[in-house]
Amino acid sequence: MPAKISAKIEQLTRRFGKFVAVNRVSLEVYQGEIFGFLGANGAGKTTLIRMLSGLLTPSSGSATVAGFDVMRESEAVKKNIGYMSQRFSLYADLTVEENMEFYGGIYGLPNHAIQAWKNAFFEKVGLTPFVRRLTHDVPLGFKQRLALGCALIHNPPVLFLDEPTSGVDPEARREFWNLLYELADQGKTIFVTTHFMDEAEYCHRVAFMRLGNLVIYGTPTELKRKFNQTSMQDVFLKLSGSEEDKE
Amino acid sequence: MRQILAMMRKEFKQIFRDRSMVAIIFLIPVIQLFILANAITLDVMHIKLLVADLDNSRVSREMIQAFSHTKRFDIVGMTRNLDGIRRDFRSWRAQMVLIIPPKFGRNLERRLNPRIQFDVDGVDGNTAGVALGYARGILTQFGETILQNPGWRASLQGVHLISMEERMWYNPELDSRQFIIPGIVVVLLTLLPMMLSSMSLVKEKETGTLEQLIVTPMKKYELILGKLIPFLILSYVELTLVMVIAIFFFHIAMNGSYFLLGELSFVYLFTTLGLGIFISTVTSSQQQAMFLSWFISIFIILMSGFFIPIENMPDVLQKLTYLNPMRYFMYIVRDIFQKGSGLKYLLQDAIPMTAYGVFVLSVSVLKFRKRVE
Repeated sequence: MPAKISAKIEQLTRRFGKFVAVNRVSLEVYQGEIFGFLGANGAGKTTLIRMLSGLLTPSSGSATVAGFDVMRESEAVKKNIGYMSQRFSLYADLTVEENMEFYGGIYGLPNHAIQAWKNAFFEKVGLTPFVRRLTHDVPLGFKQRLALGCALIHNPPVLFLDEPTSGVDPEARREFWNLLYELADQGKTIFVTTHFMDEAEYCHRVAFMRLGNLVIYGTPTELKRKFNQTSMQDVFLKLSGSEEDKE
Repeated sequence: MRQILAMMRKEFKQIFRDRSMVAIIFLIPVIQLFILANAITLDVMHIKLLVADLDNSRVSREMIQAFSHTKRFDIVGMTRNLDGIRRDFRSWRAQMVLIIPPKFGRNLERRLNPRIQFDVDGVDGNTAGVALGYARGILTQFGETILQNPGWRASLQGVHLISMEERMWYNPELDSRQFIIPGIVVVLLTLLPMMLSSMSLVKEKETGTLEQLIVTPMKKYELILGKLIPFLILSYVELTLVMVIAIFFFHIAMNGSYFLLGELSFVYLFTTLGLGIFISTVTSSQQQAMFLSWFISIFIILMSGFFIPIENMPDVLQKLTYLNPMRYFMYIVRDIFQKGSGLKYLLQDAIPMTAYGVFVLSVSVLKFRKRVE
């Protein structure tokens, strides 16, 4: 069965002055995939995700996401993606449900649709007891789920998660990944950046980035075999080590 | 439309949930009004007057009495020691000294045109000048009364005095509050919208929620309208609150059209809200935005004619005030309040103010990007 292409990235580049944050990255990502970007801080993961989600204009190259060109059709792209940043970007002074209702309103959804999604999602992820609490007072793991719920409210086919699990305890992380699998099974394409190597194992495919370059990508199994390692942690160390040798 | 409403609803919730914000919006302006209305007074009152009566005649005593009968002067003491004046000025015991020389009364009867002397503490030149003006007025009147006096009439026959009939228009009692309070209205319609809009936009930048809004299909104009309309509404609530206090508590005369005031305030709010957006685009934290807002405020308030008359400024600075949007609105509001002027007379200020508003708002909106840097 030929998988449907969800994102096609060609020679995508972003410069900040003389600094090349992302250097001619090309990739194809298929529908229903969880695609992970790994790499040290400043490797270009966030910049790449920001270009794909229409937050940043690419300097050169091209990319289509959910069938729309990120340069020319960025508004159409925005309708078809969900985005969750590492800061969770919620309003601390609004209650849990107010945050959800606000983002629903921002996507122009009718009230009944917002209420239906809110109740179903909160029930599913265990947020119901927190509904009327100020987001400020809710544990981080629940903020993370709320942020995901807000990013999904308009049912986008593609999801961008920028370090979605930073600062969250292992238990909450595992539950979060279960959610992601469920979403991927429903046919959503998920881009995720992470620091955690155990999470790299959960991805369908991962890409290593270093100094703006896409070094290598493949399934975790392929990569481990190629570098003759037993875990992604070791693969990562191997790749980082070769970087130090060079410099 | 739904997007704008969602934004507005959120904005109102955030404002009213934040107690310090509610205080900033409703309490502080009222306190400001009460304090500033009484503190910023341009009237010169209770000038400390020291009297050196070296004559001690009937005329000199009557002259001193004329000074003691007005609230403008407080006679703080009598002295015969002219060398002590320096000390009295230094210690702030006296601001002005009236020196009546020996034989003043007798010389006056002999029509020798005797002179009296005023020594004035000139540190605050403005007050000194005003005080001298009052003294001159009292002396003129005093001269007229002694002419009426039958005893004097004979001896002073043929002395001609031009008398003046004064009529103050618009503010007959020369109450400076009639002038200052409409000015405070202008200051509030500047500070509040500028600070609120800049702080609230920068806060979204700081917490990352702006980034989240940027990845939604929400249009830039929806975002900005949703942000600004609540502040526009709050500014009007504020305007109403301050007007009610001004009119019913301070008895400020409102001789013009409320509708016209409301309309031109709307135009002015374009500028101040626009400045707020502009500040938010060049700063990245709430502290920076606050600092920049204050910096701008101090300049535009001082250069607006609020309490320093523009006409008194050097030529170059006067020309500079044409760049100050507050200058125009200051004239407009005072004219509406005191003179009851209609739009026809206000156009010379209203046109540049409108142009300013449109310019500032469009530049800010253009500068406000729906992208991250």
